[in-house]
Amino acid sequence: MELPSRPRAEAPPPSGTQGALALEVKGISKSYGAVHALSNVSLQLPAGQIIGLLGPNGAGKSTVMKSVLGLIRPEAGQVRVFGRDVQTDSVATRRLVGYVPESPSLYEYLTGSEYLDFVADMYGLSRDVRAERLAQFLAGFELAGHEHSLISSYSQGMKQKIALITALSHRPRLLVLDEPLNGLDPRSARVTKDLLRTLASRDGVGVLFSTHVLEIAQAICDRVVILHHGEVLASGTFESLRERAGLAGSGLEEVFLSLTGTGDLSDVVEALSY
Amino acid sequence: MDLHRVRRLAEILVASQLRSGRTSSDPRSFFGRGLVIALADVGAFLAAFGVVQAVLGPLPLTARQLRLAVDTAAPLLPLVAVGVVLVAGVMFELTATTKFSGSDAANWLPITPTEYVAASASAIAYSYSPAVALVLGGVLPVALAAGLAPTYALAAALSALGLVEGAVLVEMVRALTQRTGSLGGGRHGQAALLLRAGLLVLLILMFDLAFNPVFLLGFIQRFSSFEGLTAAVPLFWSTRALSDWVAGDPNLAAAFSVGQVGFVGLLLYTAGALRRRLWVPNPMEVQIVSASAARGHPFLTALGLSPPEAAIVAKDLRGFVRRREMLPTLVVPIVLVVLLVVEGGMIGGIGSVLWVGWVAGFFPLLLAVTSVGQERRAIQSLFAYPITGRTVLRAKATSVLLPSLGGAVAMSLILSVLLSLPIVSLVGFVLASVAVAVVLTFWGLVFAARYSDFQDRPRPQFLRPSAMLAAMGSGMVVLFAILIPATFAFLSPSRVSLGDGLWAAGTAVAAGGLALYWTRTGFDQLFRQLPF
Repeated sequence: MELPSRPRAEAPPPSGTQGALALEVKGISKSYGAVHALSNVSLQLPAGQIIGLLGPNGAGKSTVMKSVLGLIRPEAGQVRVFGRDVQTDSVATRRLVGYVPESPSLYEYLTGSEYLDFVADMYGLSRDVRAERLAQFLAGFELAGHEHSLISSYSQGMKQKIALITALSHRPRLLVLDEPLNGLDPRSARVTKDLLRTLASRDGVGVLFSTHVLEIAQAICDRVVILHHGEVLASGTFESLRERAGLAGSGLEEVFLSLTGTGDLSDVVEALSY
Repeated sequence: MDLHRVRRLAEILVASQLRSGRTSSDPRSFFGRGLVIALADVGAFLAAFGVVQAVLGPLPLTARQLRLAVDTAAPLLPLVAVGVVLVAGVMFELTATTKFSGSDAANWLPITPTEYVAASASAIAYSYSPAVALVLGGVLPVALAAGLAPTYALAAALSALGLVEGAVLVEMVRALTQRTGSLGGGRHGQAALLLRAGLLVLLILMFDLAFNPVFLLGFIQRFSSFEGLTAAVPLFWSTRALSDWVAGDPNLAAAFSVGQVGFVGLLLYTAGALRRRLWVPNPMEVQIVSASAARGHPFLTALGLSPPEAAIVAKDLRGFVRRREMLPTLVVPIVLVVLLVVEGGMIGGIGSVLWVGWVAGFFPLLLAVTSVGQERRAIQSLFAYPITGRTVLRAKATSVLLPSLGGAVAMSLILSVLLSLPIVSLVGFVLASVAVAVVLTFWGLVFAARYSDFQDRPRPQFLRPSAMLAAMGSGMVVLFAILIPATFAFLSPSRVSLGDGLWAAGTAVAAGGLALYWTRTGFDQLFRQLPF
């Protein structure tokens, strides 16, 4: 089975921004009633890099990602994609972005093929291009043969593959992926990880990637940003975080648990044991 | 049956129903608690009581006239209760998605089918109880003035039973449609989907008519005496009990009351058995072998729609025949037309013209108010694509107008031919039907843009209940403000009726313009940020 063949980024970046910041988040804050989901969060993602967004449940990772898409409006701060403000230039910005939400909600009464065709219409892909490209992705993710079944009959992993294809099919310059490997079988997870690395290093695609599987973050991310209680707790390369935590020779899991103040869990395990 | 489990599950289902809006989704919110329905019951009861009491005071009615009014109305109250729950239940309760049919939070719990049905039916009955409280509140002052408190008490008790009876019938429809929804499993092609949609429409239609007391009474009375009918059909035993009570035969009244309770118990047992036998938690698998995906949408683009707009319209139209939860929306206008056809006596009069005009406006209103909420949480994908709210607005309006205008023109043409209307009247009738369809489409979209419910839940709804009431109430006012003067104008065209025609046209333009403006601002506001 072939990988999608050389899916180079297609959506043209604004002129003069090649090699510049794919994403710039400056001091965004967001509250839901009395709950402060984000407080003054900033991060920068240069084109061609993969940033891992890590944090405990409820830390604000999905809120950051939705802000990048303009799905929610922060009360303060600004988000720019290749220099464009996502709030004032939302349609043009979204052409540059591919997005996989944390829990993809697909139109389950459509077939996989119909859904992908629908998304291609949203991004204005020509008929010829979409037919060839979607065939490659369906083959690459081993969905060929299932594309004419209703999505309601798909497994969770198959739905996740459809969500990934919709994020990649228009060849975006920036990928915003909220736990994209959820439910994927080992082969497809490997395909996705290798594809992301290739897109970043060869085609200059920026990737903002959240996961709870720290080994994956350690394996494919250039830098990580750790969110905790809606604030940036730490950011940098894996090595710099390890130094900061004073845990030379440790893995990312130890570093993460140390930085988020959840280091020693033996008491918890003891308390929960039968 | 473990009544504690039943009560707890019913409480959860009611809370799930209530917590749809932003304000009520907060579990601490008062509007997200089941108690709010009890207060609505009390409020509706007292309001109706107060209004009728105030109206009754100055009226010079004799005690005999008051007794006659109570004796006539009381036997019909349980039928009203059954009818309200059945019609509203089929409309609003059968919208559970396949996802929730399969993974309903209760499915994996140690709950028997009968317990589930009892809990679900209780939740439905409780949810719709304010409508019955309103009627009972209105009848009480008359009953007290007539000195017929015992009659009233019996009618109230049997009406409460009627609420439960209607709710259990809704559960039976739910089980039956679930089975029908799985037909076509493993089959290929659009034909299997159309077969499934057709079967569902037919099933809901037949059930709705077979257990719709108002329809049934009118229909069967032609062939049978009132006494014979009410004794033979258990659905009417409450009515029969009250008639016997009024006639001074408490023994027969007690017998039919007990019989009614037993019948509801039998229905509950049957509904449990149906759920046990027919519930199919696995989503069906249908393969669609079609090249349509690569063809585009030439018809829709020929109408002037952009590719994204055409794609959204095509998606929505597919959803009409593929989504079980959309079918009740389609069934209602069919039921209305069937009622008109069966009740053939109406044909020939102005009533039939008004009826068709009403359906021509009500159908697009119903489709429009549900058009945005039916996206459910998948609407977040529309937010992520490079399109604007106006794109979605044009697509949604087209999705509603395409079937609605087709139906409006066809119905008005057919009725014009049946009534042998002159050509001027025919053209006027068609224009009036088209006008109400267009205006009511945008009237519905005003509410859909602002008050849609996108939550995935076991008891989903497309629009918040209060907004649905407001949309229907205001929509009917707009509809009749256009339709009534238009009907007078085109049925007897003259210089005198020209004023009516101009009034109708002016109202349509004003209401349509206002609705269009509010729809545009509503969609702009909706697409500013994700509503959940």
